[in-house]
Amino acid sequence: MSERARASATATVAGVAAGWLALALLVWLYGESPRAVVAQLVAGTWGMPYGVGQVLYKATPLLLTGVAVDLALRAGLFNIGAEGQLAVAGLAVGTVGARLSPGTPGWLAVPLVLAVALLAGAAWAALPALLRARFGAHEVISTIMMNRVADAAIGFGLAQGLAISGTVRTPDVAAGALLPRLDALGLPSLHGSAVSLALPLALVVALLVSAWLGRSRVGREIVLVGLSPTACAAERIPVARRIGAALVLSGAVAGLGAVAPVLGYKGYFESGLGAGAGFGGIAVALLGRGHPLGLLGAALLFGTLEQGGLVVNARVPMEVMTVLQGVVIVAVALADARVRAALVRRTA
Amino acid sequence: MAALLSADHLDRRYGTVHAVADVSLAFEAGRLHAVVGENGAGKSTLLKMAAGVVVPDRGRVLVDGAPLEPHTAHEAIRRGVGMVQQHFALVGVLSALDNVMLGAEPVRSLGRLDGAAARARAEAVAREMGVTLPWDAPVETLGVGDRQRLEIVRTLVREARVVILDEPTAVLTPGEAGALYATLRRMADAGRAVVVVTHRLDEVRDHADDVSVMRRGRLVSTRALEARDDETLAAITRDIMGEEPPPPVERRARTVGDVRLELRDLRRGRALQGVTLRVAAGEIVGIAGVEGNGQRELVRVLSGLDAADGGSLRAGAVVVVHEDRLAEGLVAAASVRDNLVLGELRSFTRFGLVDAAALEREARARLDHAGVVPADLDAPARALSGGNQQKVVVARAVARSAKADVLVMAQPTRGVDLGAARAIHGEIARAADAGKAVLLVSADLSELRALCDRLLVMRRGRIVAELPPEASDASLGEAMLGGAEAEARA
Amino acid sequence: MSFLAAVLSVTMLAQTLRMAVPYACAGLGGVWSERSGVVNIALEGILLAGGLGGVVAHVATGSAWAGVAAGALTGAALGAVHALIVVRGRVDAIVSGIAINLAAAGGTRFVLRTLYESSSNSPPVEGFRAASLGGASGAALLARTLVDPLTLATAALVAGTAWTMMRTRFGLRVRACGEDPTAAASVGVDVPRVRLTAVSLGGAICGLGGVALAYDQHQFQSGMSGGRGFIALAAVILSGWRPGRAALACLAFAALDAVQIVVQDQVRGTGYLAQMLPYVATLVALWAVARRRGEGAIAGRPPAGLGKAVE
Repeated sequence: MSERARASATATVAGVAAGWLALALLVWLYGESPRAVVAQLVAGTWGMPYGVGQVLYKATPLLLTGVAVDLALRAGLFNIGAEGQLAVAGLAVGTVGARLSPGTPGWLAVPLVLAVALLAGAAWAALPALLRARFGAHEVISTIMMNRVADAAIGFGLAQGLAISGTVRTPDVAAGALLPRLDALGLPSLHGSAVSLALPLALVVALLVSAWLGRSRVGREIVLVGLSPTACAAERIPVARRIGAALVLSGAVAGLGAVAPVLGYKGYFESGLGAGAGFGGIAVALLGRGHPLGLLGAALLFGTLEQGGLVVNARVPMEVMTVLQGVVIVAVALADARVRAALVRRTA
Repeated sequence: MAALLSADHLDRRYGTVHAVADVSLAFEAGRLHAVVGENGAGKSTLLKMAAGVVVPDRGRVLVDGAPLEPHTAHEAIRRGVGMVQQHFALVGVLSALDNVMLGAEPVRSLGRLDGAAARARAEAVAREMGVTLPWDAPVETLGVGDRQRLEIVRTLVREARVVILDEPTAVLTPGEAGALYATLRRMADAGRAVVVVTHRLDEVRDHADDVSVMRRGRLVSTRALEARDDETLAAITRDIMGEEPPPPVERRARTVGDVRLELRDLRRGRALQGVTLRVAAGEIVGIAGVEGNGQRELVRVLSGLDAADGGSLRAGAVVVVHEDRLAEGLVAAASVRDNLVLGELRSFTRFGLVDAAALEREARARLDHAGVVPADLDAPARALSGGNQQKVVVARAVARSAKADVLVMAQPTRGVDLGAARAIHGEIARAADAGKAVLLVSADLSELRALCDRLLVMRRGRIVAELPPEASDASLGEAMLGGAEAEARA
Repeated sequence: MSFLAAVLSVTMLAQTLRMAVPYACAGLGGVWSERSGVVNIALEGILLAGGLGGVVAHVATGSAWAGVAAGALTGAALGAVHALIVVRGRVDAIVSGIAINLAAAGGTRFVLRTLYESSSNSPPVEGFRAASLGGASGAALLARTLVDPLTLATAALVAGTAWTMMRTRFGLRVRACGEDPTAAASVGVDVPRVRLTAVSLGGAICGLGGVALAYDQHQFQSGMSGGRGFIALAAVILSGWRPGRAALACLAFAALDAVQIVVQDQVRGTGYLAQMLPYVATLVALWAVARRRGEGAIAGRPPAGLGKAVE
């Protein structure tokens, strides 16, 4: 194992351990037995087929937003806007999907709505990308602001006729555009859970993005720019263009995250659908550490916590799980900083 | 006489580099003690440890015979040890007076700064030194000489009895340097211990009472300078250089071709005030000068990182080696492989995908050619020694110069061991042999002399003289420093 | 009432001042933190946590002042956590800020549900209700706002921050640490300690802003910070990291909020668009500042040591 890989493993273990410790502590503070709550959490998630399916369903958008945030991080950017990018893409997919004529065949409808998701996410990231690449305005605040604008814009759009009158949901998406659930595709034991073809799609995207960053010219240059924009500029790599491209692509992938709830589960978009997946993606990216398997593992972990939060909600407030995301992020970052400092000291 | 400050078996490593190896040395009151040695000999690290700034791995520092505990700059200052570092520790946006106060502020009730008290104290010290300073001006508006004087005032305001200066004259004009030594002499005469790190032997000869020589982290010799004759200087030179002979000068006659690089009255901001020069194919032209006279800005414009404000620049394809290999030269966290072909991925790309095998072949060839040991393409560039890092940067530039006309090299051997420096010099000479126009910017006169066909002297953003490489130290120095002392005093 | 009349009314002025308090407190928190060199996007979470801390103490003791103290302490504690993670742990300040914001968003709901069995809001609290100044008129609202202890405290904190920053030893050290931590350290300034103190102090002020927000609504609601921490940070950037100007910029953003409230009342169907106003304005401000800096403006540049550790 390389030193870098060992460092990643150390940080991951530290993060996961801190997460479970914090969970136990909060549960104990709440006055419940950590042992009983964790047992219930495990039984309700990985302990039954439906639970497994639900974890996989929750993990799907997290994996995509995780890949998205990670892609931006590789370029040295924090895409905190995945939340808004996903939401806007959700509305776009719901709207376009509902306008398709009911008889549109899947081979046409699915690629079309996927493209819509990608484009909508990319479009929502385009303004922060432009502000950053062209003017150097920090992407953290601009992407956060775009999240807020997305909230209002979606509310506006739904109120102005995109929603069924008197509701905050779009009409049903054409049947051909839906992503079939896995229980209908030969995995009947997942019966009733919402995991759909969006999961394998997310896996493919994770692998594709990873391969693109490693194998393509633009991808490799994005990574190099993320490590040292100064050196890249000195060697005439177009730094601003690479940064802009990374953020827009990140938005596109985050937008794709909307297809799991919209096309794989509900069949329509409604206000608040998929909320939290964008911020969860930040945690996934920081824990997954630039490797597709790491991102998958992190998405599964946070998917488990999310579903687990619902399972134990009667005993302990599920909000605990959001706190855990914060704890895990800090623990991973602290462990990583320590390992990195040690590495630098040894090789300086 | 009792030592005010002494190093007791100090030892410090940085990674694989043994920067300071078991050095013991004493600095006495009333003496001006010069510490000399080549780049990377460990002088700065030793004195930073002595001033509490760097913590030694082993050994201890004694102030007035008692150990420095805890080993911090704060404690060292408290005990009367002050250091003026090569890169001034001044906060640019704060006023000169704020900088004098910082860390030892006189205060009234409620923690209010007592500016009047601080000013009175600083002015008294400045008077003693024989200098005046603009106390209310932001430090970033001051010249280098004023900044240095400010640093010294600051150490004295804190009642430093030992004042350490790291390469204080590197950035000064000769007039300023003379004034500095006069000040330092006054400080020594007042009973302080003054320590100066330098690599200029003439300063040692003219001003030092004691001289210590370091080489490769070790203390080679310490002697009181009673006789300031050539024999003593020769002995010091031998101590500095060690057994190794100076780099061989391999000079071959080359055919000089057409002009490949031509600048006319090139301007940018205050740094470049109209640079005019020409370099022809097969020619190595050196740019000499005290650092900070526009060399860095010139290289940035030549590389296309900055645009010129005025004048003209005509050049074929230019390849540049920047002076700061860790900022502009390398992506430190990326692999040696990626660094060897940085910015050239296009030529290894087919249908948007990088041809890994072709890239590997090319990187391997460049690495073998450069002679980096160990030849590990996967290692991150930051894990290499300075010499190997520079070899990687130069290998990339040289390979790329195959398709270019002009090769610009800024400080190509700075902080690099002798073996690597020789290898890099060989590359530069071969590039010129192959018909490239080479512009070599260096602070190292012996390097310029060994390689260049012509020397241009840069001062205050202009080329002020052209000299043959055989020109005497005196004539070069005169051109670099402005000839007339009058100008320096102005 | 016409749109213009609504915007120029006393109500509008009162609303602006009222809305400005949380912004300004968060802005001052940002000034303290960033002038010392620590990027602080955790302001959003600190507003939330401070608000809840204040309400919990108010509910428990019945004293609005106890709530103020608790809010400030909560803010200081979160600021200290942020500074420790960043300065001692050497973690990227953005990462730490994201984590603190997540933990605060989840943690406040967790506490709400633990204490009050609702994850959306707390029981009502009195706050500093000036009973003698009742009435719904704009003038009454303005009077209530002007005598509100938190409004007065905020005004005092703006002046106090500017004075402390420029006139005291602590302020000088904070500025030095933010500009050039390495230089500051080499003359004996304990950079980590100065930063820890400055970020905690900023956290306390930001926590007060949270209390003001909650007292204004007479209860704590989950997520009630509504992006104000981030907007305040944008105001800090816009101001060139100067406390007085940051407060003015906060006032401007508060005015947009007030317009939003007034306009929503007056003009039907503009709700969502008005809601976007502060966020869009923030984006425009970011663009304007970055553009100006790109053109080489010296005034209002960020502290040079922002995000840098001692070498």
